[in-house]
Parts: sequence; C-alpha cells; structure tokens
Amino acid sequence: MLLTTSVGSLPKPEYLMTARSQARKGSLDPKQLRALEEQATREWITTQEQLGIDIIVDGEQYRGDMVAYFAEHLAGFQQSELVRSYGNRYYRKPIIVGKVGRPRPVTVDWWRFAQALTTRPVKGMLTGPYTIMDWSFNEFYPSRRAATLAIAKVVREEAKALEQAGAQYIQVDEPAISTRPEEMDLAIEALGIVTRGLRAKTITHICYGDFETIGPKLHRLPVDQIDLEFANRDFELLSFFKGRRFPKEVGLGIVDVHTHQIESVEDAANGLRKALKVFKPDQIYVDPDCGLKTRTPEEAIGKLRVVVEATQAVRAELANGRRSGLRTPSAARTAA
Amino acid sequence: MITTLIGNYPKIAEGAYGTRLIGTISRWQRQEITDEELEQVYQDITRAILQEQEQAGIDLLTDGQIRWEDIVTPIARRLDGFEVNGLTRWFNNNVYYRRPILHRAPVRQGPILVQEYQFARSCTTRPVKAVLPGPYTVMAVSEDRYYKNPRRFVRRMAEILNEEARDLAAAGAPVIQFDDPAIGFGWPGGRHSSKAKTTDMKLALEGLQIATRGVKTKTAVVTYFGALNGRLSQLLNAPVDIIGVDVVSSPTTLAALKKLRRIPKALALGCLDARNTKLESVKDLRAVFRIASKLVPPDHLYVNPNCGLEFLPHRQALAKVQRLAEAARAFKES
Repeated sequence: MLLTTSVGSLPKPEYLMTARSQARKGSLDPKQLRALEEQATREWITTQEQLGIDIIVDGEQYRGDMVAYFAEHLAGFQQSELVRSYGNRYYRKPIIVGKVGRPRPVTVDWWRFAQALTTRPVKGMLTGPYTIMDWSFNEFYPSRRAATLAIAKVVREEAKALEQAGAQYIQVDEPAISTRPEEMDLAIEALGIVTRGLRAKTITHICYGDFETIGPKLHRLPVDQIDLEFANRDFELLSFFKGRRFPKEVGLGIVDVHTHQIESVEDAANGLRKALKVFKPDQIYVDPDCGLKTRTPEEAIGKLRVVVEATQAVRAELANGRRSGLRTPSAARTAA
Repeated sequence: MITTLIGNYPKIAEGAYGTRLIGTISRWQRQEITDEELEQVYQDITRAILQEQEQAGIDLLTDGQIRWEDIVTPIARRLDGFEVNGLTRWFNNNVYYRRPILHRAPVRQGPILVQEYQFARSCTTRPVKAVLPGPYTVMAVSEDRYYKNPRRFVRRMAEILNEEARDLAAAGAPVIQFDDPAIGFGWPGGRHSSKAKTTDMKLALEGLQIATRGVKTKTAVVTYFGALNGRLSQLLNAPVDIIGVDVVSSPTTLAALKKLRRIPKALALGCLDARNTKLESVKDLRAVFRIASKLVPPDHLYVNPNCGLEFLPHRQALAKVQRLAEAARAFKES
C-alpha cells in the first residue's frame, strides 16, 4: 500500500556532467564515459535503497534529452542544429528522415545492469510514441499520425524486450500528450500499440497542460497507472477526480520538482491525506511530480526523502486508523 | 507578388553567423559584459539576418526579432503594469514563454521598438516591416489580474499598441504587422476557462480597429497555428490592409480560401511550414500561389512562411527563405 517510486530521471553528479562534456569534445573515450555512467547509476540505486524507495529507477544517467536519447538509438532519425526551447536555452531537435526502426535494443542492457544491483523492482523507462513524434521534425512520414503509429511499433518492441528481460513495471512517458487535445485519440491509439498484452504493470506520466480537455479521456489511456503532477498546483487537480470512481492506479506527485526549496514532510503528507479522500490507498503510488534531473543531487535526495517520510507517516496513520476502527475507542481515549 | 517573412528568425546559425549570442546573453546575465556589448552582438546578428533575406531575394524584410523571446513579453516588459512570470507553453508548440501578469492598468512610458526599427532600416535599402503583437493575442497569452475583463484589457492594450504603431509609422515603417495567433488558435491557456478555445472575433477585430486608428501606413494582421474554424470571412473584415492566413497548420483553411471569389484587401499567404524542416517543392508552392492569385491582384499578394522561422534550425530556415524566393520567381515567369 502506498508504494514509493520516482518518475524517472535523477540529476547527474558533477563528475558525470564534466565527463559528458569531455566526451562530446572527444577528449574522453566512450568506455570511460560508460564506466562513470555505471558508477553514477550504482550510487543512485544505493541512495534510493537507503532512502527506502520501493520501486527503483536507474536515474537515466546515460540519457540526455528523453526524446533525443531514443532518436539517437533508433534508425530513421537525424540530429538537427540547435533550436531554441525558451529564453536562452537551446536543444537539438531530432528530424525523422527515414523509416523508423530498432536495429538493436535501446534500454534493455541498462535495465539489466540496474536490476542486477538491487533486489527491489527496477522500472523500465521509455518515451512514448506521441511525444517522440511531437518533439521531432518529420520529413519522412506523410502525416503526424503516420509517424506516431510507426514509432509506436518500435517502442512496442522495446517494451516487449524489457518485459522479457524481467521488468515488472514499464513506464511509457507521454508528457506531450496534453499539447494538442485534438490528437489525444491518436496518442491513446499509439500507446495502446505499445502496451497491448503486456503482463508487466504499465504506467504513463503526463504533464498538466490543458487538463480540462484531456481529463475526461484519462481513463481511456491504455495503461494500469497514470502518473500526474499534484504538488506544483497545490493539489487542485484532486478536485477533478472528486466524486468519480477513477478506474486506474494513480502516481501521485507530492513534491514539486521545479523549486529548490525542499517541502516539509508535513506539507507533503497533507497532500497525500487529501488524495486519500479521493482515491483508495491501494490505488496510490507516491512520487515526486516529475523527473528530478533539473535539481541538484542534494535537492533531489532531500525531495525523495520527503516523499518516503511523508508516505511512512500516512501509512502509519492508516494502520492505526484501521486498528482503532475495530475497537470502539472510549470517550476518554478520544479526548486524550 | 511580394515575398516576405513573418517576424522571428533563428537567433543562432551554426553554419553562418554563429552561436555566440548564447554565451553573450549568459555573460550579460552574469553582469560580465555591458549593455553596449550585448547590443553590439544583437546588431551584428540583425544585420546578418537582413543580409541573408536580401541575398535570397526577399522583397519585404523583417529584423528577425533577435532581441525577442516571443512576440508579447518584449512589449509587456517595457510597459508599466506587467510582471513577466513563469514558463508557459507557447500555443501548441514544444516551446515556452514567460507569461505576463497584469497587475495595474498598463502604461506606455515611451516608444518601445522605434530605435530597434530604425537600426534595422539603416542596414538595408529594401523595405523593412515593423511587427507588433495583436491586442487580442496579448490578452490571450497574459493573465489579467487587474481588469478581470477581456474587453477592457484588449481595448487598453489596443490604445497602447496604437501609440507604438503611430511612432513606428513615423519612423518610416512601410507596413505595420500585428501578429494575432490567438485569432486562429483560440486562447492557449485552456485550463483557465472552458470557453477559452473559442475566439471572440468581435473583440479581436475591435482591438485591431483601435490599434490601427490613424496609423498612416499599411497595416496587416497575421493569424497562425490554427484552422480559423469558419472565421475566415470575419477575418477578411478586419480593419487592416493586409490579411495574413496560415494555410499550412490546417488543410481546412486552404479549402475555405478556394471557395472565395475576390478579396477586397491584400492577402498574406502563409504557405511554407515554419514548424517542420521538410522543404516544400516549387511545384507545390506554385499550386498554392495559383489559388491565391485568383483572389487578389499580384500587387496585393504577399507570400510567406506560415509563422516566424525560429522554430527551425538555421540551415532549414534559410533553405525555406531561398525556396520561397525561388518559387515566387518561377511563378512570376510562368
């Protein structure tokens, strides 16, 4: 009940940031970079175990951008020159220039590596087909729909391979899904291609966006669990679910990933308590709002610790509440 | 037929004027360089962008909006009354802007873009247009905590933009263009109101009426990102000389244009996809030109990408500029 986890990415330690920049310039060979990525992955897995996180992530120490990483490893994509994302921030947006394919597994080796380091389950982490399409240019497929469905088949192969390798949880993130509500049906269809028939528990993380429009379609997303940001809008999103029976599990973000400040355990626990008025305890998984890669390692650890401690506090209350529910507490005890 | 660009252009160009703007802005933010040093880089890049357009053979140029993060905050930051706040998605793009929040009645403390415009104009012998956000779009992408009333907000912004437009006209701008993506798209901030997707066309046109009043030069409105959803005929009544229509974002817009006969205004045809790298063929562009040329005489037809080219990497942006000029030449010769 109330299992704790993370959304996916964790910050890269200073030494890895330096190594990645050296590798880009060619002054560090790929083997040395790989060794440092493995070291950082080991450290994050130990950290998550020590904090008491139930479902572990590998922290994506070997990934840059969540779409570019897949574009670099799949066939059919080319890297572009820089385009601006906001302010003074630029990134390389992939271009689909040919038939999308999967010449070899993309994430399976890393998943095996991470799972070998812990007895707790490690989530398989994929980026969803709609998001890969929306965050790429398309010069090959005749439409956004055709591109999305072609990518879906390839992501499906990867999900299947993760399941065969033993992944019990497979998360297929679709942060772009709220960008164009009119394409929600396409995103649902594509995600269905990825998750169809998987025995692993499937999860998708989506960002807030135009929630009033996409909200009513959330229950149609073909996954077992939907992970959402609750903390960064002060849990107002809960009002959407109030009074409806939501048929899926919910990944409940209880700390904001965009602030430096570490929330108090009490505030995070209060958020969780509010959520328990809307969802059933065994329906909820508890995590930060989104990937933590933009925080410092210290901030990320601080926020994960708050997730665990807040969850433990609420779990204890639920356990006590159940006990006192069986007895009939005396008036004196209630007053005390 | 007049070739032109909408407004923004890649601020960096790995194969041409370089990426130094990124480092320059970072150093300026850390206060390691002066305002003048930053200004020098802005001017160098602006000059390079104007030259690229000239060399490609574009008729009516833009300064590329190198100083602008989007079309609204450069204005909002320099008016009293706004605070520029958290990152928000720019319509349906994977691009973000800082959402302006209106706290007090907005006040224009003086000309905003006139100096920038004069600089751009001094770099070239070809005409350079001036670009402003449409009042309706300013309202749509901002948060109004003062008026709490779209109409009052739009009307006040329109008065301010009108003062700016008059000053830009006096500075010699041959065309003053109002960018109004919210007319085609609806309000981007759907979560703030369930009605937000429906454009209040009457209000948008009222805003343009005020913004263009007494402006002694040609005026334009350009709409992009959306399908217009049946609002094309209303848009054609906008109190401006040139109507900009994006025929790329939705196929329904071109279909609606085909049904029209003659347009009493000039048309700016957004016919290259500035949000995808795929290069249009001359043949396809000529087919679209042909449709538009039945609606307006040649000197009333502007052809351009559907929106600013900054969504594209520089290489592909430049390729589209060159292709536009090439297709226009081929069309005129045929």
